[in-house]
Amino acid sequence: MASERPKVAVISGGSRGLGAQLVARFLDRKYSVATLSRSKSEFVNELLRREEANFYWASVDARAAESVQKFANDVAARFGGIDILINNAGIAVEGVLPTMRWERINEVVETNLTAVLVLTQACSRVMLRQGSGTIVNISSVNAIRGHSGVAAYSATKSALEGMTRSLARELGARNIRVNSVAPGYFESDMIASISDEQRQRIARRTPLGRLARIEEVANVVHFLASEEASFITGQTLAVDGGITC
Amino acid sequence: MLEAGTSHQIEATVVGKIRAILAERGAAAAAPLAGDSKLSAHLGLTSLDLAFLVSQLEFELGVDPFAKLVAITDVRTIDDLVDAYRQALVPNSHKKPDGSLADAQKRAEKRRLRIDQR
Repeated sequence: MASERPKVAVISGGSRGLGAQLVARFLDRKYSVATLSRSKSEFVNELLRREEANFYWASVDARAAESVQKFANDVAARFGGIDILINNAGIAVEGVLPTMRWERINEVVETNLTAVLVLTQACSRVMLRQGSGTIVNISSVNAIRGHSGVAAYSATKSALEGMTRSLARELGARNIRVNSVAPGYFESDMIASISDEQRQRIARRTPLGRLARIEEVANVVHFLASEEASFITGQTLAVDGGITC
Repeated sequence: MLEAGTSHQIEATVVGKIRAILAERGAAAAAPLAGDSKLSAHLGLTSLDLAFLVSQLEFELGVDPFAKLVAITDVRTIDDLVDAYRQALVPNSHKKPDGSLADAQKRAEKRRLRIDQR
């Protein structure tokens, strides 16, 4: 079935940032692409006009299991399956844990972890039926090294890496690969608020002496999702200019 | 998708999917499957096989009884599995007295309390 139709990629949080970069890249390579986000960005509006046949967007509360299951089934019905899932959607929360509001803790856990589990469950069912698939989770260097002020965020990203390894073992027998990419700091909305001084400090601590370009992260996500990585599963690949080495 | 899902159709669909999995691994597809055949102990199905089966049956029958209605941990035999789909598709059909998710949660809570008291 998979060889008779374009491959299908589901990319969460595809309306902006790294997600939008990945959506554009997979569309350029003739994939059918589906994304879900809370709101429609100008990027999504343009794609809905330009790529009507190959692009699908839905406004879905990513924490609502039934809505997410329906989204996955809709994508599979529209495009014929789901070959790739990229769990990209996430939020960054900063602040030391002792004074962080409970609402912020809940928000980051629900967005970065619960919603990922729910979407992965929904898409993996489609992949199970197909007997193939690949899942790439966008983690963070904060899952690998400790940094002050990001304990809640780090907890969610470390959890994703635990999920990556366990799910790789669960689903490997059905030809479904699961990997993570752990980006270091790269130019995106998520770090738009950090000061020039902070950027310079990060660059100084990075062996390659700079922040990543967003396409450098997208390259690795694309590689892990592709057949080029057909014997890689359960791994985390840091794309961080060496900051964790 | 089955509109009303008669009991016989449901059973035939479930058993057909189980046979397909057994055939895929080279097991004797023609061997008789009894309602009380245990999915794991007798037929050798793994939890991933069961997940595969449930995903296929969701596609075929249009329902997933294990989302809310029935605890998958209560499914041990072919009859258990068929019953789960009957409950979802034919609401007035026979329902096992201990097959609900709420009952399974109560039993899990009792087990947890027993462990805590040790």
